[in-house]
Amino acid sequence: MFACRASEVPPGARVIRELDGLSVGVFNVAGRFHALHNRCPHRGGDLCRGPVTGTAVPTEDYRFRYGLEGELVRCAWHGWEFEIESGRCLVDARIRARTFPVEIEADSVYVVV
Amino acid sequence: MIDCDVHNSWSSSTALLPYLEPAFRDYLVRGELPGGRDSFPHAHRPWLHPEGFMRTDATPADGGTPGSNYELLREQLLDRYDLEYAILTGEEAIEVSTLANGHYASALARAANDWTVEEWLPLDPRLKGSLVVAPQDPRGAAEEIRRLGEHPDVVQVLVSSGSSRPYGDPVYHPIWEAAAEVGLPVGIHLGGQGGVNANPTGCGPPTFFWETHALLCETGMGHVASLIAHGVFERFPNLRFVLIECGVAWLPAILWRLDADYKALRKETPWLRRLPSEYAADHIRLTTQPLEQPASPRQLWPLLEAIAGERTLLFASDYPHWDFDDPTTLRLPPEWRERVFAENARELYGLPPRA
Repeated sequence: MFACRASEVPPGARVIRELDGLSVGVFNVAGRFHALHNRCPHRGGDLCRGPVTGTAVPTEDYRFRYGLEGELVRCAWHGWEFEIESGRCLVDARIRARTFPVEIEADSVYVVV
Repeated sequence: MIDCDVHNSWSSSTALLPYLEPAFRDYLVRGELPGGRDSFPHAHRPWLHPEGFMRTDATPADGGTPGSNYELLREQLLDRYDLEYAILTGEEAIEVSTLANGHYASALARAANDWTVEEWLPLDPRLKGSLVVAPQDPRGAAEEIRRLGEHPDVVQVLVSSGSSRPYGDPVYHPIWEAAAEVGLPVGIHLGGQGGVNANPTGCGPPTFFWETHALLCETGMGHVASLIAHGVFERFPNLRFVLIECGVAWLPAILWRLDADYKALRKETPWLRRLPSEYAADHIRLTTQPLEQPASPRQLWPLLEAIAGERTLLFASDYPHWDFDDPTTLRLPPEWRERVFAENARELYGLPPRA
């Protein structure tokens, strides 16, 4: 299903579209497109309207290392962190946001919903 | 049955004189004492129990302090309830944590520990000891754990729940490192609410003793949150803490809250690998006394189930204090009794079965 023009979504940006009755976020992460259901598995907030950020990645012994810059979306409601590409929740890998396959044809971004 | 909180006492702090090194014996002999002659050097809490805080039937015939006489303790506790073991937690010694002078505090803790080892532990094979340390002197505390922690009848390190900072703070890690090294759990016993430990409750000092006593579980909450958040159990994966007399029923609610907030803000503590409730299940144990007893005990069971109480609770009587729990009338889920009354403590403290 056609979602948007690729040129509308430069690296770091995202758009949110209604596709077949579903709210879907289309993200451009460093040139690669990914689609996430705009519904957080935690409490149903608008996941895709949250900030795209990095975070302090797992470390040991009180070291802080900022990583995954631009690869995470932090839910607009409670701030849970999700990897945009996989939908994996960082704090608990058993929790996943729903992802959809994305296909690019010329300047068109299609999402398989 | 194993009782995990039994208060053995001296009647006078002069009992410590033979065990104090000369520089600090001088303080105890010649220095100021907070409650006059025979009192123990500490900063007292500002809530005074209007009846004294002892069972009034536990005063020995010689008029000494309840808990000071082995024969009476044996009669009223060890024999009466046919205890397999009693974990001694002392009376005033943990109050060393209130002193500003950590050197003096550690010297008093060392003397109290030697007094327990010399004068109590040999009396009866059922008695096991706690090693009191002064947390405001982390180096001295760690040295004391390495000095005496491998004594065969010493089964835990003990600190007061009153503290200057919550116990996950890295300033305390040398103490926990030493406990992990000698393989002892760390008991955090209600007390030490005075002196340099100025944060007994969250919104300013309460007024009355009973009001305060019911609220002091707040210190347990703070330590649990801090130990988990600072990653103490990632650093010391075999270390366990026992909250003694800090209440029980609040723990599930606090863990639910910690889990929820950690899930949102895990980036603040990237050294954690598990949910707070998962660390607690493996590393936090609680003694029962004074177990919350709602009018209908069934209201309590779901809360205890939420923290796997069958595995995490340890029976304690708190003899000879005023809020003593009698094991024969304590209400617990019947199928949990064997574990809570004996087996959990046996595993935690490594106590062999007795004939």
